Amino acid sequence: MARNTYYGTLVLQIYLPIAELSVNLFFLVGIGGAVGFLSGLFGVGGGFLLTPLLIFSGVPTAVAVASVTGQVVAASTSGALSHYRRGGVDLHLAMYLVLSGIVGAFGGVAAFDLLREAGQLDLVISLGFLVLLGFVGVLMLQESARALLKRRQGVVVRERQANQHNWIHGLPWRVRFKKSRLYISVLPVLLIGLFIGFVGSLLGIGGGFIMVPALVYLLRVPGSVVIGTSLAQVVAMMAATTVLHAVQSQSVDILLAFCLMVGGVAGAQFGAAAGMHLRGEQLRGLLALLVLAVAIRFGLSLVLTPDDVFSMAVTSVAP
Amino acid sequence: MIRFALAVFAIVCMVLPAGAERLFSSVSTETVQITSSFDGERLTFFGTIAPDAGAEQKFVEGPFHVVVVVVGPTQDRVARKKTNNFGVWLNTEQVEFKGFPSYFHVLASTRLRDITDVNTLTTNYILPESHAISPNPAGWWQTLNFGHELIRLMSEQDLFGVQENGVLFHSESFYSAQLTLPSNAPPGPYIAQTYVFKDGEIVARKSDGFAVRKIDFERFVAFSATQYPLLYGLACVALALFTGWLGGVLFRR
Repeated sequence: MARNTYYGTLVLQIYLPIAELSVNLFFLVGIGGAVGFLSGLFGVGGGFLLTPLLIFSGVPTAVAVASVTGQVVAASTSGALSHYRRGGVDLHLAMYLVLSGIVGAFGGVAAFDLLREAGQLDLVISLGFLVLLGFVGVLMLQESARALLKRRQGVVVRERQANQHNWIHGLPWRVRFKKSRLYISVLPVLLIGLFIGFVGSLLGIGGGFIMVPALVYLLRVPGSVVIGTSLAQVVAMMAATTVLHAVQSQSVDILLAFCLMVGGVAGAQFGAAAGMHLRGEQLRGLLALLVLAVAIRFGLSLVLTPDDVFSMAVTSVAP
Repeated sequence: MIRFALAVFAIVCMVLPAGAERLFSSVSTETVQITSSFDGERLTFFGTIAPDAGAEQKFVEGPFHVVVVVVGPTQDRVARKKTNNFGVWLNTEQVEFKGFPSYFHVLASTRLRDITDVNTLTTNYILPESHAISPNPAGWWQTLNFGHELIRLMSEQDLFGVQENGVLFHSESFYSAQLTLPSNAPPGPYIAQTYVFKDGEIVARKSDGFAVRKIDFERFVAFSATQYPLLYGLACVALALFTGWLGGVLFRR
């Protein structure tokens, strides 16, 4: 590690072998830690914050997306393990989600490569984040605002509505998921997995913030196993996506991912501890605001006149 | 490969003395090693102008001007332009430049236009723009426009540049030039082409090669990622799982 002292401040630069540029080590571990803190606080992977931050700080989009995929695995592992020990993981359900998720990830990584060649990767990533985060953010904000209001009026909020059924529960090929106490069709389960696999590998996010609401509102999975199952699914699917990215686009920077992991894993522990002091609906409200802020940021980048209308990319390295 | 062989051949031809002067030149570092602490490196190009081996004169007569052109490995690069379509900014136009240098810096002893005319500068690929005007299916106007912007983008990343006071003469015939290679300089073979000008004519030239190479850990990582991508991916996952697990164990109390 180089130690250059500029005007009394210690600057540690580290060379990233795949991104082929040199970045400040404290900056990498710092954003890893900050995002890790938020992910521990809210129980999400944090990829939706980390990928944009890296792109913004000059890491090539492809390397950022692929390397964050690795970081999400690390960030979700300790959470998934502790939920598993407490019996909060429905492995049967997770398996269905992961298998269809991997199929989706194949599609996502292929689309990622095609878009990169066509020069539209940044556009689709911005658009994807905007639509997805905007939609989920508005939904979460609505829900948590309603819950906060009700609490203020003294109404007891019921956390889950397992006995309520919707049209999804009427579909064929029903399977019994013992741990979740569900007897539902596998079709919506597979579709959710497929969608999150595709979107997650394309955008470099774990998709926990889509998975959790999907499990709660669409499948009516009980609250005790939602987070654990979602985390287990994220670990397995992002692990598969990391390998796919490594094979297909060869843009996983192990050093970048490791720096982010170290910061992220440490930050997540403090975030989880801080989360104990906040109520569920407050947490969800804050997360909703955060998600919306990122969505608006991406929306603006599409609409506002860019600083530079020109950009460049390497299409292939001549032999 | 054939292109490379041709390039080598062309360089060998160019090394042959062109006039009564001869150039002896060298570069301070033959291999720039990229380690984990790589944060750019300073190179020195130096040389002396002497009478040619067969020439009758015993000393050279100036004034001379020296231009050092440092070219990195070539790549295919595209320049893209965003346009506003119904309120949304999209990449709609693009021009691809085949065999575009990934690094190009010109060091000169004075202003280039005072050394020689534009034609000589262009035909010898001394101006950055000379790489952007080769025939292109996009048409000459688009090529000119996008080429200009591509060079600007490259310059902003310090990958392209012209330093018109970059070469320093210590005597009538001895010069040195310093160049700081940035940390984002792409690895690969580099060529430093040195031209000696007298009265606007090239009187001697020589090329020196050096390499920018990842070594040790960086080389191992880059090699594994391209040669054994599956194993590399699995190693990344194993590292992630281990780090996550270790974090949980360390902080659980």
